[in-house]
Amino acid sequence: MADVATKIKLYLEDNSKTWDAEKNNILIQDDSDGNGAYIVTWSVSGLAKPSDSQLAAFDTAGNTKETLDATLAKRKTEYLSWEEQLDKLYHDINDGKLDKTGSWYTHIKAVKDANSKG
Amino acid sequence: MAYVGTPIDTTNQFQSLQGKRFSGNGSTTAFTLDVAPTSTLDIEVFVENVRQDPNSAYSLSGTTLTFAAAPASGTNNIYVIHQAKAVGTITAGAGTVNADSFDNTVISGHDALAATPADTDEFLISDAGTIKRIDYSYIKASNTPNFDVRLSSNFGLTNDTFVKVTWDSETFDSDSAFASNKFTVPSGQAGKYLFMAHYKIGNSLGYYTFKYYKNGSAVSGMDRNIYNYANSDNDFSFHHNAILDLSASDYIETYVQTTSGSGNNVYSSQSYWQAFKLV
Repeated sequence: MADVATKIKLYLEDNSKTWDAEKNNILIQDDSDGNGAYIVTWSVSGLAKPSDSQLAAFDTAGNTKETLDATLAKRKTEYLSWEEQLDKLYHDINDGKLDKTGSWYTHIKAVKDANSKG
Repeated sequence: MAYVGTPIDTTNQFQSLQGKRFSGNGSTTAFTLDVAPTSTLDIEVFVENVRQDPNSAYSLSGTTLTFAAAPASGTNNIYVIHQAKAVGTITAGAGTVNADSFDNTVISGHDALAATPADTDEFLISDAGTIKRIDYSYIKASNTPNFDVRLSSNFGLTNDTFVKVTWDSETFDSDSAFASNKFTVPSGQAGKYLFMAHYKIGNSLGYYTFKYYKNGSAVSGMDRNIYNYANSDNDFSFHHNAILDLSASDYIETYVQTTSGSGNNVYSSQSYWQAFKLV
């Protein structure tokens, strides 16, 4: 089952809102009591707090989004730091390999291929 | 006619002069008194009813009275009267002993304890003007209650959600005040507490927010928000301290939020939550 936070993001987008714009107006909390996360504060202008059934409607889409987010997050950690990527580009330029044979391109492609968006 | 002069003291009890009798034998010169006089002039000594010269006829050493020459034989023919011995006890009236009545020897004249007092050792205090005694246990700086709790396994976080951390392994808990993942101030232990939570977080880039909750709500101004710049080679640790003024029955919990996506943890290794009462 998708996280409550993920389903809320989709609910916002479905109503022409964005999480980045509204995240300070929403507080989601999990008291670790087995009852899961719930909305503590909802102060989104012009949009009512979603009901449980409204959130449940986004469960499938939420699972898809979380899978994609996890893939992107994994890519981010495997791309290496910007210093290391710049060093690869320097060597590629120095070696005349600023093409698909260079070390930077082959590394980035390997990360993307290993973490497909599906 | 009205009474004129100093009234008769009917309060204090006076004791009689003290005396001692001995029997001479013509050879013994030393006799033992019951009380040690300070000077030969403090006693009157009679032998055969003849007063002895205190400057030459006898000497004193503690309770030992030594004659220059052995008194003659006779039953109870020697007697001593103590003239300088305290003969009365004055009882101070209630409320009449004030600061001027004492000097520093009231303290310095006694043996030093030279050790930590026992909990039941007592001190004198002025309780809003009334002298009372108080046990050391009430005034010693024990810094209790205190506790140290850890995680028995990694604690999973949920993206964009404040999750209560379940500290499930107690290292110590002085007053058994930590239970059900929260610290509750015991009865009689209101005061200021220092809370120290240390979190070891994974290597996901993003914001992490740490909050102390008091009685179910975030404590305003006591949260911390920090961005994790760590890459895949580094873990991320954060220390969150707060001093909170608490009343009895108040309870404190810790919540953590991440914006780094799913799959992030507070690691059991190196993460802990500690607290102790300051004052």
